[in-house]
Amino acid sequence: MKVTLISIPVTDQEKALQFYTEKLGFIKKKDMPLDGGHRWITLVSKEAQDGPEILLEPGPNHFEPCKVFQDALMDAGIPWTQFDVDNVDEEYERLLNLGVEFSVKPTIMGTAKFAVFNDTCGNNMQIVEML
Amino acid sequence: MTFYEREIERIRNNSFSNEKQLEVVIATKNFIDTNFDQKLNLDFLSYKHFTSKYHLLRLFKKYYGQTPRQYLIDKRIEKSKDQLKTDATVTQVCFAVGFESLGSFSSLFKNKVGKSPSDYKKEQLSRSD
Repeated sequence: MKVTLISIPVTDQEKALQFYTEKLGFIKKKDMPLDGGHRWITLVSKEAQDGPEILLEPGPNHFEPCKVFQDALMDAGIPWTQFDVDNVDEEYERLLNLGVEFSVKPTIMGTAKFAVFNDTCGNNMQIVEML
Repeated sequence: MTFYEREIERIRNNSFSNEKQLEVVIATKNFIDTNFDQKLNLDFLSYKHFTSKYHLLRLFKKYYGQTPRQYLIDKRIEKSKDQLKTDATVTQVCFAVGFESLGSFSSLFKNKVGKSPSDYKKEQLSRSD
């Protein structure tokens, strides 16, 4: 078995695709039409295009418990998942300039520095740098 | 303040309040990051930070979740992947990232990446065409 896919629930697939590629800088790998106007969209990191893929899945719109869970995490400020960056401060500035909203500014905890932003599709996301 | 921020604050106070320990492990990790291509061992790393080697081993594992050796090997493999994308040969890359034998580099690489360094190199070259 291999780990290849990280699933992220999004409230709007097209909006998510734009945010994750244009602002965050991921690259679209797969885009297949699915039943009901949905798509199988996966993204990879620019620096590791043979690495794991992110799946932008429209769960919250079709399965109520998924929406409830997503909203609860959002309200509590808990990130859905996290991405590694080389420098949290630089990435924070870059994203801030692109209009991305942060709920946690770059913060150090132990051996990690992290920040949390809103992905505009229902999730908090965390960027992390190992110190 | 969100639930998450309060939890971060609480965990920081409970688990990450020993500044001196953090200083030592972060310095050790940064030293590995910049000297991964050198011959490194625990004796040397602990000597540098005036700690006993078993204490350093325990601390590093506590704060990074892996031993300094595991971290060093991962770092070398990561760097070798970058270098295999260049013109350098597998043997050159092996020594450039600090491994001392081609055999151990090849088998570690295969274990961690899932293919041999030469196969990985071929794949990267065909991709850039």
